[in-house]
Amino acid sequence: MSIIEIKNLSHRFENGTMGLDNINLSIEKGTLTLIAGRNGSGKTTLLRHLNGLLLPEKGSVLLNHVPVSKNLKRARQMVGMMFQDADSQIVGETVSADVAFGPENLCLDKAEVDIRVNQSLRAVGLENYFDQRPHLLSGGEKRRLAIAGVLAMEPDILVFDEPFSGLDYPGVKQVLEQIVSLHKTGHTILVTTHDIEKIIAHADRLIIMNNGKIIKDGVPDEIVPGSEEFGVREPCLSHMGVRVRSWLD
Amino acid sequence: MAGLTAFNYLPGNTFLHVLDVRVKLAALVMLSLTCIRADLTESLMMTLCLLFLFRAIHLSFRSISRELRYFIVLLLIVFLARAFFTPGRPLIGIWSLTMTHQGVSDGILIAWRLFLIIMLSLLFVSSTRPSDIKVAVERLLAIFPFISRKKVAVKVAVMMSLILRFIPEIVNQAKETLDAQKARGIENRKNPVYRLIKFAVPLIRRTFENADRLALAMEARCYSENRTDPELVSTQKDLLVFAGVTCFCLIIIIA
Repeated sequence: MSIIEIKNLSHRFENGTMGLDNINLSIEKGTLTLIAGRNGSGKTTLLRHLNGLLLPEKGSVLLNHVPVSKNLKRARQMVGMMFQDADSQIVGETVSADVAFGPENLCLDKAEVDIRVNQSLRAVGLENYFDQRPHLLSGGEKRRLAIAGVLAMEPDILVFDEPFSGLDYPGVKQVLEQIVSLHKTGHTILVTTHDIEKIIAHADRLIIMNNGKIIKDGVPDEIVPGSEEFGVREPCLSHMGVRVRSWLD
Repeated sequence: MAGLTAFNYLPGNTFLHVLDVRVKLAALVMLSLTCIRADLTESLMMTLCLLFLFRAIHLSFRSISRELRYFIVLLLIVFLARAFFTPGRPLIGIWSLTMTHQGVSDGILIAWRLFLIIMLSLLFVSSTRPSDIKVAVERLLAIFPFISRKKVAVKVAVMMSLILRFIPEIVNQAKETLDAQKARGIENRKNPVYRLIKFAVPLIRRTFENADRLALAMEARCYSENRTDPELVSTQKDLLVFAGVTCFCLIIIIA
């Protein structure tokens, strides 16, 4: 069953360049989809249409058969978005206040907000940082805090924009573990990256974008060879004809 | 790091942290206004009280002096202006300017009063969550019948809490910009105007970019003016503090 349906979506930036060019895409519920492509290929622009941060100029974006533009609050509650720069996503003065930000915006009562904050912090393993100042967390912890902030809104779809950029190896593993565990709990996950090696072993589907268009779409093992032509580095093992292993093994 | 700046909320459970934010806000306003009337003895008394309170909320004096170093330059300018341009008995003459005894004592008092107001604000910001400040400002503005709660009070409160959210961000940005420029030898350029322009332009541009990213992230998490706000609870202790501060201010103003 499709949870996201994108039909004939186009977006032109103010300077006239084409951000998205006639995108048609359908995402199945519970899948982990990887969207790859070089910088400026349209990945982030596409993601921002999913929760109404950008609205379609042409075409439509439907979440469970309802257009995003019809109910923005529903779309933003349904699609949790993790931005590339975790720092800019932090709005709370403490870890718990930051996680509470989303549920408070949904006008939930205080007791429900507290329950969701505790659950989300436990889910990402930050329950001991309740009163910590977010700016003192490490890069990986900040990403996990951003995930907790989004989880507290109980979204069905989780969208990660370049989740591994700027992280060291332990940080990448922490975030990857989180993504994989969220996938296992039934969330539909979309991840954009230009470095697919870190997550490809867990992806159900790989989409490669270039100049605002979808160039390739299919099972990762079939799509990966030849991806370098579009600015996506092919994993080393794939070069040698071996199936790429998980970074968590 | 933003976390190391004093113009930021410092989580804690001290007496000041648990005090009702409306009482803290009212006390800040009353004490700031009272500072304008305070003489040297009263200013000294208030300074000692403030130092004790800073100690109580675990804000180190080193951190305070680092944060306030630019304000101290400003206060020095205020002092010098008063010292040289107040008529009175001459103390020292430099070129055609004369520093007077009255000017020096006036300058010290005015700079001290301003310093006290800055310290009071710093104490308030360090011990109060921005979300609580937002609610307190909203509730206090709503008292005035000519201020519409929905149209004005909520907007002013949101703006205030966002400004507080942004102070550490701007301080961080300024430090990063300065470091990046030092790494490329800006100190070899002696012209202060050139250095100021090269510093201010990227700082303003990056601050706006950060503000834009923050606004987008807030929008993605359904931010609106109608949201679940923190509950504000007043206890007898809060009322006692309010009464104590009011009496203190009245004594200084009447004396």
